Amino acid sequence: MKRRVVITGLGTINAVGNSTEDFREGIFAGRCGIKEVTLFDTSAFSCHLAGEVTGATLEPELDPELTKQISRCDILGLIAAREAIADSGLERSHYESDRIGVVLGGGAGGMNSWEKYRRARWAGEERPDPALLLPYATCTLTDLIAGRYGFTGFRSTICTACSSSTTSIGYGFDLIQSQTQDVVIVGGSESLSELTFAGFHALRLMDPGHCRPFDKNRRGLSLGEGAAILVLEDFDHAQARGATIYAEVLGYATNCDAKHMTAPDLKGMSNVMTEALKRSSVDKNQVDYVNAHGTATPVNDKTETAAIRDAFGEQLAKKLVVTSTKSMIGHCLGAAGGLESVATILTLREQTVHPTIHLEEDDPDCDLDYVPNQARKEDITIALKNSFAFGGNNTSIVFKRSE
Amino acid sequence: MDDIAITGIGIISSMGIGKDAFWSGCREARTGIKRITAFDADSFDSNVAGWIDDFDPRQFMPRRTYRRMSRISRMAVAASVEALEDSSIIIDDDNRDRIAVILGTSYGSSAHVEDFFVSLLREGPRGAQPFLFPETVPNAPASQISIFHGIRGPNSTFCQNEISAESAILYARNILSQGIVDTVIVGGADELSQMQYSSYNALGVLNKVRAKEGERISPEMGGGLILGEGAGILVMERLNTAAKRGATIYGLLKSATITGGVTSPSRYEPGGNAMKRAINHAMEEAEISTDSIDHISVSANFSAALDETEYRILSEIFAKGKDNLQVSPLKYLMGTFGGAGTTRTAAVLLSLHKQVPLPTVALDMLNRKGSQPCKWSTPSAGTTGTALMTSSTFGGGSSTLIFTQHQKDNQ
Repeated sequence: MKRRVVITGLGTINAVGNSTEDFREGIFAGRCGIKEVTLFDTSAFSCHLAGEVTGATLEPELDPELTKQISRCDILGLIAAREAIADSGLERSHYESDRIGVVLGGGAGGMNSWEKYRRARWAGEERPDPALLLPYATCTLTDLIAGRYGFTGFRSTICTACSSSTTSIGYGFDLIQSQTQDVVIVGGSESLSELTFAGFHALRLMDPGHCRPFDKNRRGLSLGEGAAILVLEDFDHAQARGATIYAEVLGYATNCDAKHMTAPDLKGMSNVMTEALKRSSVDKNQVDYVNAHGTATPVNDKTETAAIRDAFGEQLAKKLVVTSTKSMIGHCLGAAGGLESVATILTLREQTVHPTIHLEEDDPDCDLDYVPNQARKEDITIALKNSFAFGGNNTSIVFKRSE
Repeated sequence: MDDIAITGIGIISSMGIGKDAFWSGCREARTGIKRITAFDADSFDSNVAGWIDDFDPRQFMPRRTYRRMSRISRMAVAASVEALEDSSIIIDDDNRDRIAVILGTSYGSSAHVEDFFVSLLREGPRGAQPFLFPETVPNAPASQISIFHGIRGPNSTFCQNEISAESAILYARNILSQGIVDTVIVGGADELSQMQYSSYNALGVLNKVRAKEGERISPEMGGGLILGEGAGILVMERLNTAAKRGATIYGLLKSATITGGVTSPSRYEPGGNAMKRAINHAMEEAEISTDSIDHISVSANFSAALDETEYRILSEIFAKGKDNLQVSPLKYLMGTFGGAGTTRTAAVLLSLHKQVPLPTVALDMLNRKGSQPCKWSTPSAGTTGTALMTSSTFGGGSSTLIFTQHQKDNQ
């Protein structure tokens, strides 16, 4: 008998809310967090908006020396971890420290700090503060969380851009199922950076306004930032200690388009959804809700819609409820899958589907039920979450409502 | 866990391009550490690295394929070409969904990050070069391998500083054991760039050693890091799959562990607890004791903190094992990089397969200080049945892998 894996703690910070409770209230109200960027000067860009987090601080609880050596991405991640671990009610007496692992996904990591260093050098400064270079590696946050809470088990950091943190949930699931670990802290963090902002801008993938997933007039994505940390736990252990069980992870799959570095591929997307359902022993007709990758680039939304139709078949696809959390928080890259998984889990828990906002005009190429602009009560038992990344790195994961 | 067989090896390294040249480099303990001429390193504390001056991507793929690839992607794809050819696996529509590509790298292409950001600083948003951006993500090399060979199964990239490649090996074993795929192209890669080198220099962690062109130098023991670069790609399969198709089996992965130490992100765990737990746990999983381990590959990299800790923990664990314990610190010859784990693995596997020992140093060499040259011994013969590879990184993670020789009658 394989072990069952459940989620017992949630922590989030993003443009819509600085806690999971704020986030819950915000997404069901259809609140847009996308606004003028203040972190860096965007005046020379044709887009000035992003899902920036405001009011995020860990001071004074963090050692001031350490604060100098970590990046904005790490601070966002530590805030989310603090919430998730407190929420889970995990205590030292519950597990040996080496039974708890940390597996995160990430994107640009401490790029934002490196940029400050590089800009100072460019401006002619001889010796900018080298501490800005320390948090460059994306695994910095993984080591920080493990160090802060004394988790000495398995440790890994997945860097597959926009699908990283979804895959981290999958790997955590594997490690608990194989009895390698009893608890794994998963998720990811990402902060806005000039490099990624300029990169998506240069590739003409950004909407000059706010993003409009699945809308006929969509012109691209809005970037976002934030962190989501989830506590994954073996079901029997979680039940025995009386933990709140938010949802169950049934399975996941990853694959690669093997076609192009930046263009999405229908077949790759469709296959990864089908494979994730197969590995979760879930029939396509059991799926009620798809939390889409839904970036709002003209090609992603059209291709993802076609891929959902391909994977589920015309009839079942029409019955599905499909929404994009990115319509409210923007595309949080390395943290996207984690944040959207939290949105999916809240959907299962509340039996309410958050809307896809800014969806004003129907697109004949995007003809599924995207729950435009207004949350809706629905019976949701099984949900599928998609994440697709640069390089054709696709991940889908399946969650089940807690009984 | 199923036994995992390694059936293909591809190496781009400063000790040799291709697995045969690399192996002769290993046998001769030939250093790849030399004066950097790829960029101007004269203003830095050090001007040497284990960098590769003779890699020509044209030997592996057409120019139109690699033209827009970063250096790390070129090296990774090139090593994958050699590894797949070596494994005799032909990729077609019947198997392309059952093959995975899993890589580990510290930073991906730091040169592309630098070049793209500088294009932004110099030209502004409208002059930023769009074609440079996709290769700034660390998963680019793994994706390029999948694109090049048309491999559509799982694809993932791990970044865990100096145990990045080991992390990839652990995930490869995870998906092979579950039967999700039949084959994994697993590897590690990193590129040396001026961006990375100048950053390590600014942080003051480089070994302060300077060389003239063509000069063979001895880095200071315990004096700081020597950086390296390269790509090591392995083909992994479950033993029964490999045996059934009559593949050449270089060796078996018997156990693999990762543990987490508690320290700050830029330091090694001072007590070495994670290292010790990883080694003990791996021996338990493989059901072997210290006295049946014939060879130890260590991750010592000239940093006082790591080398001393490896010396101390290994002395402790193997106290009752063999006298005059000999170990192979391959990073003493090729420098350190996050994706080095699969290249070190390749050295171990080639030794197991050929039944020719790797060059070693006495364990207490890891505890030395100063610029006396490291004394290597190269035993001409001797059998190796079981090898243990320990790896630790700043940030606190540790990994242990145990490999055994494959004996056909065991099948």
